[in-house]
Amino acid sequence: MPLSMTTEGDSVTIVRLTGTDEVRQHLSEIGFVVGDRVTVISNSSGNMILQVKEGRIALDRKMANRIQVGLSAE
Amino acid sequence: MAIRIALAGNPNSGKTTLFNSLTGSNQYVGNWPGVTVEKKGGTLKGNKEVEIQDLPGIYSLSPYTLEEVVSRQYLVTDRPDGILNIVDGTNIERNLYLTTQLAELGIPMVVAVNMMDLVRKKGDRIDIGALGKALGCEAVEIAALKGEGNQEAAAKAVAAAKAGKAAPSAVFEEDVETALQKISEQIKGSVPENLSRWYAVKLFERDEKVVADLKLSADRLGAIEREIEAVEKAQDDDSESIITNQRYQFIAKVLAGAVKKAGGKHGLTVSDKVDRIVTNRILGLPIFAVVMFLVYAIAMGGWAISIGTMGTNFANDVIFGEWVPGLFDTILGALGVAEGSVVYGLIQDGIVAGVGAVLGFVPQMLVLFLLLAILEDIGYMSRVAFVMDRIFRQFGLSGKSFIPCLVATGCGIPGIMASRTIENDRDRKLTVMTTTFMPCGAKLPIIGLVAGAIFGESPWVAVSAYFIGIGSVVLSGIILKKFKAFAGEPSPFVMELPAYHVPSVGNVLRATWERGWSFIKRAGSVIVISSVVIWFLSSFGTVDGNFGLVDDLWENVDDAYIESVAQDMDISADEVVAMDDSLLAGVGNVIAPVFRPLGFGKWRATVATITGLVAKEEVVGTFGVLYNYEGEELSENGDEIWDNVRADFPAAVGGFAFMIFNLLCAPCFAAIGAIKREMNNAKWTWAAIGYMTAWAYVLALITYQVVGLILGQVAFGFGTIIGFLLLAGLIYLLVRKGYVPEEGARNLTSVQAAR
Repeated sequence: MPLSMTTEGDSVTIVRLTGTDEVRQHLSEIGFVVGDRVTVISNSSGNMILQVKEGRIALDRKMANRIQVGLSAE
Repeated sequence: MAIRIALAGNPNSGKTTLFNSLTGSNQYVGNWPGVTVEKKGGTLKGNKEVEIQDLPGIYSLSPYTLEEVVSRQYLVTDRPDGILNIVDGTNIERNLYLTTQLAELGIPMVVAVNMMDLVRKKGDRIDIGALGKALGCEAVEIAALKGEGNQEAAAKAVAAAKAGKAAPSAVFEEDVETALQKISEQIKGSVPENLSRWYAVKLFERDEKVVADLKLSADRLGAIEREIEAVEKAQDDDSESIITNQRYQFIAKVLAGAVKKAGGKHGLTVSDKVDRIVTNRILGLPIFAVVMFLVYAIAMGGWAISIGTMGTNFANDVIFGEWVPGLFDTILGALGVAEGSVVYGLIQDGIVAGVGAVLGFVPQMLVLFLLLAILEDIGYMSRVAFVMDRIFRQFGLSGKSFIPCLVATGCGIPGIMASRTIENDRDRKLTVMTTTFMPCGAKLPIIGLVAGAIFGESPWVAVSAYFIGIGSVVLSGIILKKFKAFAGEPSPFVMELPAYHVPSVGNVLRATWERGWSFIKRAGSVIVISSVVIWFLSSFGTVDGNFGLVDDLWENVDDAYIESVAQDMDISADEVVAMDDSLLAGVGNVIAPVFRPLGFGKWRATVATITGLVAKEEVVGTFGVLYNYEGEELSENGDEIWDNVRADFPAAVGGFAFMIFNLLCAPCFAAIGAIKREMNNAKWTWAAIGYMTAWAYVLALITYQVVGLILGQVAFGFGTIIGFLLLAGLIYLLVRKGYVPEEGARNLTSVQAAR
């Protein structure tokens, strides 16, 4: 499911990045890597703050829709 | 020969803090990404041979925004002798991504792991020796803000640069490394030896710019392509992703051997809890509004807690009302300069009155800058950008456009430059056009004057000025986005939020002082000169056919002449003063009709508005010179000038319209220069200035005519009709269906546009 559909407190695994090469590349560079876990700090109608690695990244809904995630097994 | 060391690292990793500490300079540090948008140089303290370059923060060497291009250009083309790579120890995994790219440049490098104090506080341990070994370069621990290890890091970087050796580790898996090796062979001779690995990786990633630059033969390109495809097939992924993923895998391996985490990190930090509240969908905006209201009320309101206003009142009434004029009276008296002479008039009525009127606002300004600096340093402002993104986006702007606006509340010029962090070219241009709508420091005296003289120090005037600025940016966004040149979706919003921290006293005071001092410096230079010019033009003129000092000539005129002047100016005879016959009044009276529909068509306000182009403070400086005329004596205190100002704005709403126009119209010459540099195009520059001035005029006219009518301060007339027509036109522009671009057809990025 897209990252924008997760709720506060969820810890999810990144399955796939979509969008143009440039956008995917930028997402990877700031820490969104397939297979990594991210934690949802807050989500207000798709605009989210996430814990990505050790940092906090703010995304708007459009960007959050480009990140496909699955619920973590852990 | 000088040794050049470049500071490179992720945004907000502490490069500028380190730079200040190493060079002893005072560059502005802010707790949000993108504070440094241009590279800045300085010499290392204690070693004049070493030149330090502070580069804009970047996440990678594949440029996504304009400031990344600046850094990449410098590192690849200008090639510093050494790189000091600053790594944020609290987010080391992400930060090392750039490190793996920097290592490929073949430049000697030292990795400085910053914020070690915070890392230790968390209980994590970093084996710095093992880290350096794994990365193939020396690594050191520093805490830049506390000054721990800064000099040692610089010394190591200098030593590495002198040694001139760079030995990048093998980051990638075997098949990729083999392919890179083969690509290197293909480009041997076409690229500098030490950049061979960097170019090989870029070719492997099929970086279009590099492919175009190298102009390789079709044969070689074919051979390279075969290598890439073989790896892609084996790994079942595209080459760019392979490189990215393997970089992270390499980093994970490095960290596994060098970092021991205290563990049990899950759970929300205080920062996270605060973020849930201040970026809340419902509460986010009201919280921001309340915060800004308090900031402006404390700095510029008329309340018991408004320390800024108290300081300014003291400065106006006592320092520049009594002490300074008194002091100059004594000095001039001792020098034998008679009161009423030209020299006396020049110094007292020109320089002291003009500069004093501007400097009187320094207390308000310092308090405002101090409060804003605290908000910035805490880290609140980057949250505001995120909160505003949701609102801006509905109007087709990105929240990133809000950061330049925030910077512009200090000074418009860095605000205009901060637009470089915006990825999309149209949005960047749009932001450059609108960011100076924000009330910068130099406009504060205008706000303070209008609030104080006409609205009894109501805090709402200053707060409204701030929100009129934001409102103008938003409304302009809506209107302009409907035109073809700006149409299209804004780029998606991605921004790192730095952790909140207790503001550093040094940082906050430095930011406050820097902005305040540049204001004071301008008062001592530009404002002195303009005040002198204004004084001359307002003191000399032709009275009844004779040219000279108007005050002297005025003593001999008869009532019939006064009556004729009054008629020319359309005022009653007892309002006429000598200055109304000055050269300046002559010029002002010609232009004044332009501003009459806005409610301030008197020549003084007109002249003040025009002098605002030199510097916005000069609007008030001009008032200081021009309204200082009461009687033979210099006014005893600021209140008298305020009384005179009030008399020129019979309708209070006219004063408000005056403020609106001066806040929003074309910025000062220096800012126009900055717009020209950022637009890099004369047509766009003129379009920007023309748009701002037109916007200011329309808004001020509507305010005076329509709001004035509603409040009962302005009578119905021809102007009212124009006002309503403009209002209707404005609403039409806001709600009309705009130009809809074809899908994806016009998504030029800033980086592409700059090529």
